[in-house]
Amino acid sequence: MDISNIDDVREKLKILVIDLERDLAGELLETLVSKSDYREVISTYLEPVLSDIGEMWSREKISLAQGYVAGKIAEDILENAMVSGDYCTSTININRPVVIGNIEDDYHAFGRKMVSTFLRIAGWKVYDLGNDVTAEEFIEKAKEVDACIIGVSAMMYTTAENIKKVRKAIDDNNLKNRVKLAVGGAVFKLRPELVAEVGGDGTADSAINAPELFDELYLELKQSYQNE
Amino acid sequence: MNSMERVLAAIEGAEVDRKAVTITLSLYGAKLTDCPLEDYYSNPKAYLNGQLEVIGKCSPDIVFSPFILSAEAEAFGCDLKFIKKNPPNLKKSVIHRIEDVLSLQIPDIESNRRLQYIREATRLLAGQCGNEKPVAAIALSPMELPSLLMGMEYWLETFLFDWENALLMFEKAEIFFVNWVNSLFSDGANFVVLPSIFTNPRILSEKIVRESVIPLLTRTFKKVNGPLVFHHGGNPFGDFIEHFTKLPNVAAFVLDSRDKFSDIREKIGSERILMGNINGPNLWRLKPEDIYRICKNLLLDRKDDKHFIMATSGADVAYDTPLENIIAFTSAVKSVL
Repeated sequence: MDISNIDDVREKLKILVIDLERDLAGELLETLVSKSDYREVISTYLEPVLSDIGEMWSREKISLAQGYVAGKIAEDILENAMVSGDYCTSTININRPVVIGNIEDDYHAFGRKMVSTFLRIAGWKVYDLGNDVTAEEFIEKAKEVDACIIGVSAMMYTTAENIKKVRKAIDDNNLKNRVKLAVGGAVFKLRPELVAEVGGDGTADSAINAPELFDELYLELKQSYQNE
Repeated sequence: MNSMERVLAAIEGAEVDRKAVTITLSLYGAKLTDCPLEDYYSNPKAYLNGQLEVIGKCSPDIVFSPFILSAEAEAFGCDLKFIKKNPPNLKKSVIHRIEDVLSLQIPDIESNRRLQYIREATRLLAGQCGNEKPVAAIALSPMELPSLLMGMEYWLETFLFDWENALLMFEKAEIFFVNWVNSLFSDGANFVVLPSIFTNPRILSEKIVRESVIPLLTRTFKKVNGPLVFHHGGNPFGDFIEHFTKLPNVAAFVLDSRDKFSDIREKIGSERILMGNINGPNLWRLKPEDIYRICKNLLLDRKDDKHFIMATSGADVAYDTPLENIIAFTSAVKSVL
């Protein structure tokens, strides 16, 4: 394949993701790296393709497996880039700490793990507390690592209701202007009004779009610091 | 006509006095009898009492044996956690490495305590309902069970990138599935509903479903001794339903609330039973008059569809759903004759 045409290469990469060809996509990216460097390949090829995939995911034009494989391809190349010492990620959130987890009584880890992957790729330092995390545990960790965002996942309405406890704990600990609450999971896709109902500051419609949400929430926080 | 005759008429496409209606009220029996969930999901008589209240107060044409899918994973060694107002959830998976698949023991359905509970509850319910009302059991196909035993990510990873071990996992789940489903039929279940989450092309992809999943499920479904109901599992499958119509022993489909009956009829013809498609878990949020109106509109839309059964889509109806909402749902069938 002629790799001199950027659009052709992006299209080829997108097709490999959609066809779940993880190894071939990795090989293509490494071939590109051999002609330039990781930073160039990630910003020129991978990020635009992930952006397209995220948009397709939002429109339900690709499956969960295809989104998952996109994350794995990105994770693979990122790992190689980190090893090579030749990569620096996002401009606004390099290694900025965030805390994520499934809310108390929720054990549906898959979506949260995908969010964790995409956040790490975007440069966030992710503290993943796992399943069945109480409001107190979220707050304790957020304080300990000075996190600016707590991301909470729930699959069902009954468990999503427990997120209200996290909202209350953030407010009770006077962290409202220092910590944003991102919420996500299947139930929020079905019922977007639930975001406000549980006290969330925002949600993303897919794991791949979580970094965009976190960027927005972080910028809102920065804005509020400046206004203080 | 009684409920059994009405449902059989829907299968045969015969005339009915009114459309058959069903609503997933497995959990709701606990609320109606004020039964603690730990007791409800372990004591077959407590479950039966709950379902008798469901029948008495809500009049569905089909009743459900215990909807507790985590029980199948528990039988393989997973721990359950009881949570308020919901069936028990799984704490964590039991398979963390491929070696765990090799050593995985298939549970004995004759001795496992929770599986015995489900079987006994099914027998009691079938004994009470006799020829008056069909009993639906609920189970996980061998495509679904591994996602509970391994976690969805690991099962997806294995299925996509480690085909040999995915087949090994599938085969173990298949052995259990065939034994389990056939035991439920022998216990009196008239059909078995299979919530199909992982199987949906929105989760995998249409190509994988067509080329890998359908051949596996075809082989498995040939081995069961009764009719299966293929349930949407939380995602619309109208765009892909033609793949599933070829599966053996599948008598009916439960559609997602976002699926359109008319589109699906166009794709698969008029003979197959279609069920749905009012979102059951969301019924608690609506007013009874709105539920009645939505159901009536659906019934009017399906008036000439002889193979239609009005049903809830999604999972169990929520514990906090007001009884009036449920009665509005089931009584709406009398509005369109």
